[in-house]
Amino acid sequence: MLKPFRKVPVLNTASLLLVENEEQLQTRLADIIVQNEKDVNITVRLARKLPLPEENQDSRPRIDLIVFIVNLRSERSLQSAEQSVKYLDPGFFLGKVCFVVTGARCLSGSSNRLLTARKLAASLHCPLLFAEDQTNEGVITVAVRLLGILKVAAGLVPLTTGLYLNSLSHCMIPSDLEQNLD
Amino acid sequence: MDRRSAVNTSVTHHTTHRRSKSYGRTFDATSRFCYTPGQLTITRIPTSREAAKAHKITEKVDPEQVALLVKNEWKLSYVTPLYQFRYTLLNVYAKHLSAFLVAEKQQGTAVEVGLETGFKVTFSTVLGMVETKDDAETVFIQIHSKPVFASAGDTPRVVWSGWLTCINGDPEYLQSLPPEFVSLPLFCTSGTESLTFLVKLWFERTFDCSFGSLSLDPNDLQWLAALWTGCHSDNNIRSLKLAWTLPAQPPLDVSLTVNGQDAWDLWEKVRPGDRADDSVSIEEVKCFITGIESHFFRHFKIHLSAGVLKKVSTALGSVHLDGKIKITCSDYMITVMTLLTECAILKMPTI
Repeated sequence: MLKPFRKVPVLNTASLLLVENEEQLQTRLADIIVQNEKDVNITVRLARKLPLPEENQDSRPRIDLIVFIVNLRSERSLQSAEQSVKYLDPGFFLGKVCFVVTGARCLSGSSNRLLTARKLAASLHCPLLFAEDQTNEGVITVAVRLLGILKVAAGLVPLTTGLYLNSLSHCMIPSDLEQNLD
Repeated sequence: MDRRSAVNTSVTHHTTHRRSKSYGRTFDATSRFCYTPGQLTITRIPTSREAAKAHKITEKVDPEQVALLVKNEWKLSYVTPLYQFRYTLLNVYAKHLSAFLVAEKQQGTAVEVGLETGFKVTFSTVLGMVETKDDAETVFIQIHSKPVFASAGDTPRVVWSGWLTCINGDPEYLQSLPPEFVSLPLFCTSGTESLTFLVKLWFERTFDCSFGSLSLDPNDLQWLAALWTGCHSDNNIRSLKLAWTLPAQPPLDVSLTVNGQDAWDLWEKVRPGDRADDSVSIEEVKCFITGIESHFFRHFKIHLSAGVLKKVSTALGSVHLDGKIKITCSDYMITVMTLLTECAILKMPTI
């Protein structure tokens, strides 16, 4: 079980965990995030799912932001994200978790999955970002956005905290859509 | 000195965790940029349906016409409402269409000496298939042609057939249309692609409508798999065949054949015992499919949910994700057509 405040933060450092079942977008995002940021020490760790292995517990740095990458083209991706979310301490959901969804443009069966992903993000009070993973510009765009959120979550931006940003940007399902679903 | 060099390890590093062996294939994301339906269409997708009841369709519809419908594998398209389509003018339409086809064929630079010279088109209505008062009657179109070197006594054979239908269409939508429009959203065709194209062109010019190919959702395929399995007690489905395509390199095709009785047992376990109403909800369908997928995973350690369900076939019919349907048992035609009409109405671009 990952706990957010178990470790002591390090000066001018931010640490990001990318969780993706397919291991596709993770590596590209990690490369771009790391290359783009020169002022802050960024550590990016990759995982396929949670829980993370016990043996790395001590050497692992304090995680500032956890990003779940869901590929809407496959049902398995969403199922894996739903199962991984259970292994997080509730303290993480106050601004330290984010969902990124790729493949939302693809038509085959993704409208139901997108809705499920939105409901998941809304119930956990987390932001939901859409990413375009087929083009380089798309990956760069989402990397820049995640970097922004990461810096806030790590406390590197003055006058803003992760919780504050979360309350502004968390995913919501409009009430008329919810009504029609019941 | 630069702050970064004080850190022992390199400034930024990333490590991978947990490469477990069970899912060892890499993904190959194919890019499919298509039009996505708007948010409102999500609210129109029904979450429960009536169970497939055996409608003895031959009581209401001429059995010969039913035989024509169950023979072929049909390619599906959706069509927007037809402007000023009159059921009384069907013979006129038939003549116009055959003249149009002949004219189009002669337009090319070379004169084709082939089978397609001298077309005879018939338009007919298939009465008795509609379910509600809002549905328009089904229109059946056939194109016959005589081979060039045939002797005089030869009967022309059917080279193309198609039908336009609307069964249990969404009443709100149908009633919202202006009175001059007839809505027959589902178009099923069987025959050569060039003839299909010409027929669609003629319809577009005459009735100011537009066609589009109806590709189905894996969800729809799952509905049909569940509905057909539910019919096993009345009409033996013999076996339930499902085909998946897994995104691996090279793409892996998985085809699973489940014994009819076993599929029926699983379906019965998913549904709670005795139900007052005959409806099937989407959770039960999802449960059924998840049951099959987890059974497969237990034996082969492959997650079928990572792939796309491409084809479902039983003894009662088969359906393919590209929009091809074949109904071999006419008893359940109404239910299948209801589902397909819904898909057509949902996929149609609405303003």
